[in-house]
Amino acid sequence: MPNYVEFNKISKGFPGVQALDDVSFRVQGGRICALMGENGAGKSTMLKILSGDYQADEGTIIIDGMPASYHSPHGALKASISVIYQERQLVPGLSVMENIFIEDLPKKGIRIDKAALRKMTQHILDEFELDVNPSEPVGRLSVAHQQMIEIMKAYRRDSEIIAFDEPTAPLSESEINTLFKVIRRLKEAGKVIIYVSHRMSEIFQISDDIVVLKDGKLVCELNADETTEQELITAMVGRDIGDTYAELCRNENIGEVMLEVRNLETDDVHDINLEVRAGEIVGFAGLIGAGRTELARAIFAADPISSGEIFLNGQKVNFKSPKDAIAAGMALCPEDRKEQGLVLDRTINNNITSAVLEKVKTGLFLDKKKERKLSHAAVEKYSIKTPSIEKKVVELSGGNQQKVILGRWTSEAMVTKVLILDEPTKGIDVGAKAEIYQAICDFAKAGLAVIFISSELTEVINLADRIIVMAQGRITGSLSRQEATEEKVLKLAMHH
Amino acid sequence: MADILGGMIKIVKSKMFALIVLLAILSTIVQIGSNGIFLHPINIRTILDMMIITGMMTIGATLLLIAGALDLSVGTVGTMAGMMFAVLLRYHHFHWAVALILCLALAAVFGLINATLVNFAKFPAFIATLGMASVAEGVSFLFSGGANVSLSDPFMRNLATGRFMNNTIPFSIIILLVFFIVYGIILSKTKFGRQIYLVGSNPTASRLVGINSRRISYILFINSSVLGAFAGIMFNSRVAAATTLGITDRQFFGLIAAILGGVSFGGGTGGLGGAFVGLLIFSAFANGMFLLRVDSFWNQAIFGMLLLVSLAFDYMRSRATYRSPRAKRKSKKTTTTA
Amino acid sequence: MENSSKEKKVHGTQSLGSYILNHKVTLLIVVTIVVIVFFRLMNPNYLGWQNVLILLTITSFVGLLGLGVGLLLISGQIDLSTGAIAVMAAVLVAMLISSGIPWPIAALITILFGAAAGGITAILVNGLGMMSFIATIGMMSVWGGLALVLTRGNPVTINNPGFWAIADIRFFQSIPLLFIIMLFFVALYGFILSQTRFGRSVYIVGGNPTAARLAGINPKKIQSILFINSGAISAFCGVLFASNFRRGDPVAITLGMDAVTAAVLGGISFSGGAGGTGGFLVGLLLLNFFNNGLMMIGIGPYWQTIARGAILIAALMLDFFRERQRAKALRAGAAEIAAAKSQ
Repeated sequence: MPNYVEFNKISKGFPGVQALDDVSFRVQGGRICALMGENGAGKSTMLKILSGDYQADEGTIIIDGMPASYHSPHGALKASISVIYQERQLVPGLSVMENIFIEDLPKKGIRIDKAALRKMTQHILDEFELDVNPSEPVGRLSVAHQQMIEIMKAYRRDSEIIAFDEPTAPLSESEINTLFKVIRRLKEAGKVIIYVSHRMSEIFQISDDIVVLKDGKLVCELNADETTEQELITAMVGRDIGDTYAELCRNENIGEVMLEVRNLETDDVHDINLEVRAGEIVGFAGLIGAGRTELARAIFAADPISSGEIFLNGQKVNFKSPKDAIAAGMALCPEDRKEQGLVLDRTINNNITSAVLEKVKTGLFLDKKKERKLSHAAVEKYSIKTPSIEKKVVELSGGNQQKVILGRWTSEAMVTKVLILDEPTKGIDVGAKAEIYQAICDFAKAGLAVIFISSELTEVINLADRIIVMAQGRITGSLSRQEATEEKVLKLAMHH
Repeated sequence: MADILGGMIKIVKSKMFALIVLLAILSTIVQIGSNGIFLHPINIRTILDMMIITGMMTIGATLLLIAGALDLSVGTVGTMAGMMFAVLLRYHHFHWAVALILCLALAAVFGLINATLVNFAKFPAFIATLGMASVAEGVSFLFSGGANVSLSDPFMRNLATGRFMNNTIPFSIIILLVFFIVYGIILSKTKFGRQIYLVGSNPTASRLVGINSRRISYILFINSSVLGAFAGIMFNSRVAAATTLGITDRQFFGLIAAILGGVSFGGGTGGLGGAFVGLLIFSAFANGMFLLRVDSFWNQAIFGMLLLVSLAFDYMRSRATYRSPRAKRKSKKTTTTA
Repeated sequence: MENSSKEKKVHGTQSLGSYILNHKVTLLIVVTIVVIVFFRLMNPNYLGWQNVLILLTITSFVGLLGLGVGLLLISGQIDLSTGAIAVMAAVLVAMLISSGIPWPIAALITILFGAAAGGITAILVNGLGMMSFIATIGMMSVWGGLALVLTRGNPVTINNPGFWAIADIRFFQSIPLLFIIMLFFVALYGFILSQTRFGRSVYIVGGNPTAARLAGINPKKIQSILFINSGAISAFCGVLFASNFRRGDPVAITLGMDAVTAAVLGGISFSGGAGGTGGFLVGLLLLNFFNNGLMMIGIGPYWQTIARGAILIAALMLDFFRERQRAKALRAGAAEIAAAKSQ
């Protein structure tokens, strides 16, 4: 019986961004389909819809001709769909075998049949050539082994449809080979397999078909055998660079070195050396998890550093906490705007002055007038759309929330010299994006050293004066705007 | 500008309004039930007399709750300090001022340990403070040897029981009002106060704007213990004796009053104005139980229920705040399922 | 590359400290033996049968309460009201028996009361969204208070030799039936936890709620059952308490905090999802041998009260360090892999 899953006109929107827009494609049983696209292309959203985590706004998933009708992850499992995410759904206190058979532990009377469980588990472990004790608590295993256990969980369910989201990220070469053997066996058994990965070599090694997404839209469907790596990259990058960037009023005067990092090491990033000049916008490109956010946090003293030196304006600095960093003129707009950037339950006014409370005091007390002045200035400067500065930030749109953060760091009470922007345009609509781009150029004009982290290649390449690419916690290359192309950056980012 | 301010005042008023209505209803019931004794000046004076004890704990609890923590050791630490105070005065003949400082210092040490357990060992605040409550109880017994100690320092006794103006207005209520006003100003008008709210609403974001949340946590835990100690000493001065029970059975009074007054359990909301009305409601309730001759054996059970009821109020309030976005999301979901 | 997977085992090299933290039960047994030897040397009567009898009796009570709390801790919740429910149950069973109801029926009614009390807690936590610690603190006041109301503060004596007998039965002249009952429950719960689907789902709920939902397990349902269980077993403990002291005493010492301490000391993690009844039993014995030892060498009740709090904090410290160790090991493992890969 021909087994297939069809995504039929799937659309899904989030506030401020259309994650998927009328996407249709079909995955045939017995073939491995790679889902490709840059960060934010809509791959994860698609997987989450498949797994029942999200409900599509429009469109249906059709399995063997029947529209699927599940509304939860548990329902998806029942419909024989397994999605293996990067975040592992394991219970650390339970043994390997119990985790693998978590939903239906075999019973013998009222007891769990441990003998049978062990036997079944050992069988799977052998298939995966994994040398672990079935009774070992999962919490004691290495990350790689945990990932393998997670894959085995889906494998043993014998689901008809299996999707992998970057399954090889924590795995070593030999483990990847074993995994591929297993995936090929699944393919021979006629399963529908969807495979998401950023590693080019893997894609051509394992997949039969390639579906390319960009900005939530389907770009094309390719046959892996008939496609070259170059063609795939071109398809992923697309050609729709708008006029937005041409209209930007850029900074032309790049000054002295403002921030210098030498041999920085932390738990997550290694051997980092970089310079950012006053008036310069340095873009950071790379895949999710490449270590860009971690680097930004380390520079800002939000995470501890193991070794290395940081110089600000030629002076060696030794920040103990973000407080020190801010006092010295650093500012960070974190990636997770809602959890880390803003205090959502407080007003715009409170958020803007939160970093400069010392400066809005008159005597012992906070001076409402000074506070309002700063907040009104920010609201005007960035044209934040709000009826009042006393509105809670939670009620603003994503773009306006981001502007509140920018307003905080660039108010006249701040002495910001280095501004680190981590994914400042994430989840923001096109209009607000253009405004934020101009704001970033204005920061450079004002002589700030700007670090601009973004997973949207187009954005980094067109906005930054220089692009630093990271992969796996290290800097893998540095390109000037003139020499940077999306292809080059993507290659460095997938450096492996 | 003016209408922004007007809107703000309106919001504050409406929340306050609900609390005041609650207070009024409660007062009316007790007034009728007690045949008019409740609002008699002498009874009001009785209520005011006792308010400082719960009031001090209410201030400590309010600040900690806003910062997203709580202190369950305040009653036992207060009892311990009260006992130490009595022992120092009676058996060691300390001057009251010296003894007071020593007792508050001991309480501060307990607050310091609470804060260390919470900030460095990452204990949940409730269990750290419960553990320290047990330690404080033991220390209190060490001081007293398990016996009650009479306490008759004239100054402290006068402070706790004395009254101004023809014996009408208790000193203690003036002290309490001063505390509420000073703390209220700190909370609403100073940098430190603003930081308490920011930390309570979102500790991660607060750290990234350069707020030292540990420092705030330390100050507030120590503050809570010291205010608890002051309450314990005032209580003992009032009843002219330090008992082994002390204010231990009033452990949660401050917490209840604060939560009744609109200080949310989740952190980041509420204020001392609301907490003061919460305190009035609580005091009226406690006095009402006495006037309506509710058997004193009921106290513990009723205050337990009151704690749960105030938490239920808190839950409903937070639901009401978040209901609109949640409902929207839900309705969207139902229309989109294919 | 062939044996890279073996090399990557996170616990390849272990310091003594991490070994101890990872084999906490072994450590606890050693500490327990040291404690016993120490107090035996200090006071020869420590292991005399009279003292052992007292020790085992109180251990039984703490143990029963601790089982209820322990299961809840594994599932990620806590119950601080167990001691108060036990006191209320002792009073209730005493009053029921005094009113002429045959003791088995009285005991049954009391246990049902306990289950209902646990049910109320479950509603407060799962229905009204209260945090379990504060909800159970409220319930602690309510039940302790109701015990006072019902008795007006005076103990209710029980005049029923049949009922007394439960606590009086001894095996080998020293081991009380109470202790055997407690051991039976430890074994029963141990069996449920490690051998049944329900038991495993308790760990799943506490260890990874997302995984629980994915596996079709309703965390609220599991936790509600455990609250009811905790209430019922606490009430059962109260019945035995009443039998032992031949009365229901509303101002009896409450053992709720000791129950929490025993559970945490025995390796049941405060952050949920880890621990078992084996470790719990050792933690329980250690706690009680220690508490009793303090008494036997003449440490006053005041210091014992202080020790109560201090041991709770110490147990939590141990739990904290173990959790941190685990997190560190995982991070080290991840870094190792990243490093290996970038070469």
